[in-house]
Amino acid sequence: MPILAINNVYKTFGGGVAALNNVSLQVKEGEAVAIIGSSGSGKSTLLRCVNNLERVTAGEIVIDGDVLVTTTPGGVVQYPPDKEIRRITTKTGMVFQHFNLFAHLTCLENITFAPIKILGQSRQQSLQKAHELLEVVGLSSKANNYPDQLSGGQQQRIAIARALAMDPQIMLFDEPTSALDPEITNEVTGVILKLVQQKITMLIVTHDMRFARSAATRLIYMDEGKIVEQGPPEQLFENPQSPRLKEFLSSYQ
Amino acid sequence: MDFGYIQTILPALLQGTVQTLKIFVFTLLFSLPLGLPIAFGTMSRIAPIKLLSKAYVWVFRGTPLMLQIFFFYYYIPIFTPIKIDRLPAAVFTFVLNYAAYFAEIYRAGIQSVGRGQREAAKSLGFSYWQTMRMVVIPQAIRQIIPPVSNEVITLIKDTALVYVIGVPELMKAARDANNRDVNPMAYLIAAIIYLLLTFVFTLLSQWLEKRYSRHERTDAV
Ligand SMILES: Nc1ncnc2c1ncn2[C@@H]1O[C@H](COP(=O)(O)OP(=O)(O)OP(=O)(O)O)[C@@H](O)[C@H]1O
Ligand SMILES: [Mg+2]
Repeated sequence: MPILAINNVYKTFGGGVAALNNVSLQVKEGEAVAIIGSSGSGKSTLLRCVNNLERVTAGEIVIDGDVLVTTTPGGVVQYPPDKEIRRITTKTGMVFQHFNLFAHLTCLENITFAPIKILGQSRQQSLQKAHELLEVVGLSSKANNYPDQLSGGQQQRIAIARALAMDPQIMLFDEPTSALDPEITNEVTGVILKLVQQKITMLIVTHDMRFARSAATRLIYMDEGKIVEQGPPEQLFENPQSPRLKEFLSSYQ
Repeated sequence: MDFGYIQTILPALLQGTVQTLKIFVFTLLFSLPLGLPIAFGTMSRIAPIKLLSKAYVWVFRGTPLMLQIFFFYYYIPIFTPIKIDRLPAAVFTFVLNYAAYFAEIYRAGIQSVGRGQREAAKSLGFSYWQTMRMVVIPQAIRQIIPPVSNEVITLIKDTALVYVIGVPELMKAARDANNRDVNPMAYLIAAIIYLLLTFVFTLLSQWLEKRYSRHERTDAV
């Protein structure tokens, strides 16, 4: 059974913009799937639908066997009650382009916040885990600093630790390095590569082709709300089939 | 300075000060919390609630406070069986009026917290109200404190308006003394008392502001 199954998902925004146009995608345990594609092709929208930050217009999303949304043959979109939605979406851990660390909490508190409030972990239990995660992302010394006192790369590493603290079944990264200066993207991609080695299941949207190539076990190319091509990264980079992917890749040479 | 004269009028002025403080404290006690549901009302996705809350804010900010004081003092006994005293009528009006101002301040503060903060909380499994309570409001407080302290200081001075319905507060005590003795000294003393009160609350608000800005970058220590 895949950890994430996206079946025939459509998302149309008000104004008639079709951001997702019949997308189907399955992610198996241990896979690191990278999504590339030009701006506006629907990459973020796809992640946001999986995480219920957006609601689909049609289709089905199943996370770890739990149905987040399904659509009847008659076209009625069915979501479970809010509480059930929250239980299902906490199986996904989201990392945002702009970090979105809680500004009023220290780094350590950012990491323990949801485990305590949402999972009901004890302070001690969550602290122990938080310190382990701080070590994983290499920021033990910043535990008691506020996000505002950290560099962008450091904030993003804390954001990764915050998401991991919930023990998600799948991590979702939406352009985790796009808001960073080029010389410090490595400190973030380094952490993600470490997670890939640990076989953490993930879906990564990125504009960093080198990173996509080194991190992904499977690469997906999206254009105009559709998955146009997918396969092993080497195959797509070295032998792209569709003219649009060829053109897209040549713009990165 | 005629200290003998000051001594004769001081007890009445201090009694007035006690009334002023009563209006002040009770108004804050009720209007500060009342502003919150109204603020959420103005942001509600339910159209009638939103409309009603906005109308409320519009009416209470759009008409003179003095008119509102007259209105409630004279109309409550006419339209309801309630016989209301001067002081509670005054406090009642102030609560409704200040709640409207606080609601707008709260709304602006809450909306100043970025969408990213709410999305991060949602993605971690927080419900709408948990997000408000644990993420948005704690951050909004910092934005809210300065304008709220402004209102609080305005309120100290606004309490003087209730002399129009004869509540025996500080302003009325000063006027009575002046009219009786034809000596404006009472006004000077009253001014000093008002200044002392506003001074205390200015200090308090500065302290609160400091307390709630802990998470700001502190480059210069
Ligand atoms: N909230 C919204 N309201 C209306 N249209 C939206 C909204 N969010 C996204 N869109 C539209 O949906 C389409 C897909 O957007 P999306 O953000 O998913 O693209 P993307 O692939 O992530 O692009 P980028 O690489 O620039 O981040 C775009 O045309 C965008 O304008
Ligand atoms: Mg995007």
